[in-house]
Amino acid sequence: MATALETHDLTVTYHKRPVLYGIDVAVPEGSLVGIVGPNGAGKSTLIKSIMGVVPSSGGWVKVFGKPLKENLHRVGYVPQRESVDWDFPVTVMDVALMGTYGRLGLFRRPGKAEKLKAKEALEKVGMLPYSNRQIGNLSGGQQQRVFLARALAQDSDLYLMDEPFAGVDAATEAAIIELLKEMRERGKTVLVVHHDLQSASEYFDKLLLLNMRLVAFGDVKEVFTPELLQKTYGGRLTILSEVADRAAKL
Amino acid sequence: MMLDLLIPSSGAGKAILAAVLLGAGSGLLGSFVVLRRMALMGDAISHAVLPGVVAGLIYSPERSPLVIFLCAVAAGLLGAGLVRAMMATTRLKSDTALGIVLAFFFAFGIMWQSRNQESTAGVMNFLFGNIGAINTADLRMMMLATGLLCIVVFVLKRPLLVMSFDEGFSRGLGYPVRFLNAVFYFLLTFSVVVGLQAVGVVLVSAMLITPAASAYLLTDRFGKMLVLSMAFGVFSGVVGGLVSASVNGMPTGPVITLAATLVFALTYFLAPQHGVLAKVLRRGRRRRRVYRENTLKAIYQIQEASGFSHEDVDLIDLAQKRRNTEDHARKECAALLRHDFIELSADGQAVRLTTSGWRRAMEMVRNHRLWELYLTNEANYADDHVHEDAEKIEHILGANTVKQLEQDLDFPELDPHGKPIPQPQLVASPIV
Amino acid sequence: MNYLTIPWESFGIGAFWLMLMAFLVALPCSQMGSFLILRRMALTGDAISHSVFPGVVIAFVLIGDLASPWLIVGAGLAGLVSTVFIELIHRKTRVKQDAATGISFTALFALGVVLMESMLGKNVDLDLDCVLHGRLGLLLEEAHVEILGAQVPQPILVMAGVSVVTILAMVVFYRVLLLSSFDAGLAASYGYKPVVIHYCLMFVVSFIVVAAFQAVGAILVIALLILPGAAAYLCTHRLKIMLLLAGLHALLSAVGGLYLHVWFNTDMASAVVVCGGVLLLLTWLLGPVDGLMWKWLKEEGRQPDDDTSHST
Repeated sequence: MATALETHDLTVTYHKRPVLYGIDVAVPEGSLVGIVGPNGAGKSTLIKSIMGVVPSSGGWVKVFGKPLKENLHRVGYVPQRESVDWDFPVTVMDVALMGTYGRLGLFRRPGKAEKLKAKEALEKVGMLPYSNRQIGNLSGGQQQRVFLARALAQDSDLYLMDEPFAGVDAATEAAIIELLKEMRERGKTVLVVHHDLQSASEYFDKLLLLNMRLVAFGDVKEVFTPELLQKTYGGRLTILSEVADRAAKL
Repeated sequence: MMLDLLIPSSGAGKAILAAVLLGAGSGLLGSFVVLRRMALMGDAISHAVLPGVVAGLIYSPERSPLVIFLCAVAAGLLGAGLVRAMMATTRLKSDTALGIVLAFFFAFGIMWQSRNQESTAGVMNFLFGNIGAINTADLRMMMLATGLLCIVVFVLKRPLLVMSFDEGFSRGLGYPVRFLNAVFYFLLTFSVVVGLQAVGVVLVSAMLITPAASAYLLTDRFGKMLVLSMAFGVFSGVVGGLVSASVNGMPTGPVITLAATLVFALTYFLAPQHGVLAKVLRRGRRRRRVYRENTLKAIYQIQEASGFSHEDVDLIDLAQKRRNTEDHARKECAALLRHDFIELSADGQAVRLTTSGWRRAMEMVRNHRLWELYLTNEANYADDHVHEDAEKIEHILGANTVKQLEQDLDFPELDPHGKPIPQPQLVASPIV
Repeated sequence: MNYLTIPWESFGIGAFWLMLMAFLVALPCSQMGSFLILRRMALTGDAISHSVFPGVVIAFVLIGDLASPWLIVGAGLAGLVSTVFIELIHRKTRVKQDAATGISFTALFALGVVLMESMLGKNVDLDLDCVLHGRLGLLLEEAHVEILGAQVPQPILVMAGVSVVTILAMVVFYRVLLLSSFDAGLAASYGYKPVVIHYCLMFVVSFIVVAAFQAVGAILVIALLILPGAAAYLCTHRLKIMLLLAGLHALLSAVGGLYLHVWFNTDMASAVVVCGGVLLLLTWLLGPVDGLMWKWLKEEGRQPDDDTSHST
């Protein structure tokens, strides 16, 4: 099967402090991948650096066999819910429409086709009845659904999602995972940063175990083993982060 | 009145006393402002006192310092209260709320003043400062206010400091945080008003920020920071006052601000620990040390390749190993010679390591190889990936980390490439 | 005496020009200021408006003409210098960004005042009075230009140009501004460059600030940037409506400011700002979204409800 995402030796330093070391990974098309690891393992940083939202200090990223820049419109990014100001004066519909901005470029305005796409996306996540609401009046789960609708409206082939389950109710969580599985059925590739190890083994087909380094990547069956989890969460890499701290102080 | 005994009769003496009071008041509170990241709150309060000043000028034709002082404090506190109320009851963020109060109060002051131009003729002194116009009555007021400020800060120093550092924690300690915050805003407004006549509404926030920021670059102790920022405030006040007096019609505030900025610029470059120059020098020293250590390592590796069979290493070999000219190798060796890491042979064409040179060289090679091993064994690096990282890390591994690494790796003898890891704590030199 | 017609009686057509000028100054500020608020950069506007001042002074000393476009260049450079200072201070030392901002803009503003006082004689167009009050009140004494048969004060033409350019830029880049302000991460993932957008916005703001500076003075500019957007923000949840309302606020401040100016015989520029501030207080109290009044009424209304729910 073709490769949706490939990184080689991807390294990120933040304030001179290395947070990700030499990540080599190749994600096949049509897989639903959970990125798990302890706090501070660099999970969000990994997808941000893949998206080029944070600059990487080494290595490269390829998306469907081409550098990211050439395939930007095939990638959808769903940031953490807390990363935006929910008091911002926009409606649910406005946010869903933002998903179409990437394809429109800088100057074209969204037309009928874009509005239809946004509507369909909202329909899919069950938020169409709210499309005229201000986003601040929504519950956490509803806000997350809006973010997902925006991603659907992007109509990408590869999705990178940062903690879409954080702070949502159980019903929304179930709905989201249903949606993710459906997206996989349609051949989309989805990478999800996830913090709950228990549900991770049920939700995803593949897991990416991360702790500043890539610990393991593969099918849940192969990777979800006590040894590898111990390696990911067991804190044997404390020296690595200690030394990184010292390097940052210089 | 007792206080009057302290007030000099000459104009210059008065100006200097005013500068001292200004520096003390704003330096003291400024330290808290800088540490609490409330610089812009200081700016908002200082602009917000203007309508109070105008009210004082209008309603006190004899220009009583007390009336002006109280009106200004009231206006400043009203402004601060409005900022907090706005943030509590609307979606507006702090920066917008501060900006609204700053702009609205200032405009209101200007408008009110423009309507009463005769009774507020001296308002320019309050806007841009005029240290020469401060009279005995003003000084008396300033002394009382500064005295009160110092006493309250002295009494409440610890709780205020804890609160500045971590408000949640001080709540946990059972401090009355709301009350302390109210006291803090009160003191802040006080210090703004004390500095008003010398620096003026428009720039008095500079006196809250700049001297304290300079002090912050010079010390890590809070007590010292208070003293230094007061001293810088006094210095800027005196210098600014004297310079502006020598130029006809020059308002004092901007000159004092520039004097404070000059102090900041000097500390910015020259502060021993946190100054830019010190940082550059440190970086240079570190670069030279890394360079020396790399030369030592190269000498070690040449020795290792020849099986540690003789003590001397030819300069030409060293140059080759370091991919440099022989001249360059000679320069590198001169640096090592200065640190007694090597000795030069009689003809000057070869070098040999001294005991301390051997020790340092072995440490570097050990660090490098230990780190490579750690990365491959524990952090899942491929063994052809680790060299570059180790090149950097070998210079910064401390003794404790090395011990920890050796323990974690079970006191290894070979690195991932099969080369022996030297043990400088066991053998003084590997020469056979 | 009829309060509503006083301005027209005392200024004639001049009343219209004063109002129009105040509106044309406030309008571009209100639009860009709205975005500054949404990006939590309200005080960056303050810093810019203070720090462009030495640039204006130096350019004025060199050129000697307040209407010269070189003043904009000088101001832009000064704004850039202040940005560089802020970055150098808070990146290279432990001083945090807010203090770095405070240090930089007070220093540059002080430098501007000192330069002005030492290099410019008295009784020129640029003095402390102009810094505080602007030249809005002197509008009718400025040179007039004939347009379509009407004598129009020249500064109005300049400000009209600035307004048109600003609004055009905003319409063209509306979506870019919206997206990068709301979700910089997503914007970056679309390939928009956040840094470029930031600096472009800063440039446009400096441009407006310099234009507005002459009308209302260096310090009151911040009011025109923040007040309209903040008032509009309290009234609506829609960005487009917020921008329209901010423009409306600018218009009402201009009209109300003229009346305050005439009724109370005050300075015009600060009257415009005070009027804007009063409007903001009104929206805070009565605004349809955040109005305190409605919140109080709702709480009043809720209490009986609670009682009934207890009794049933």
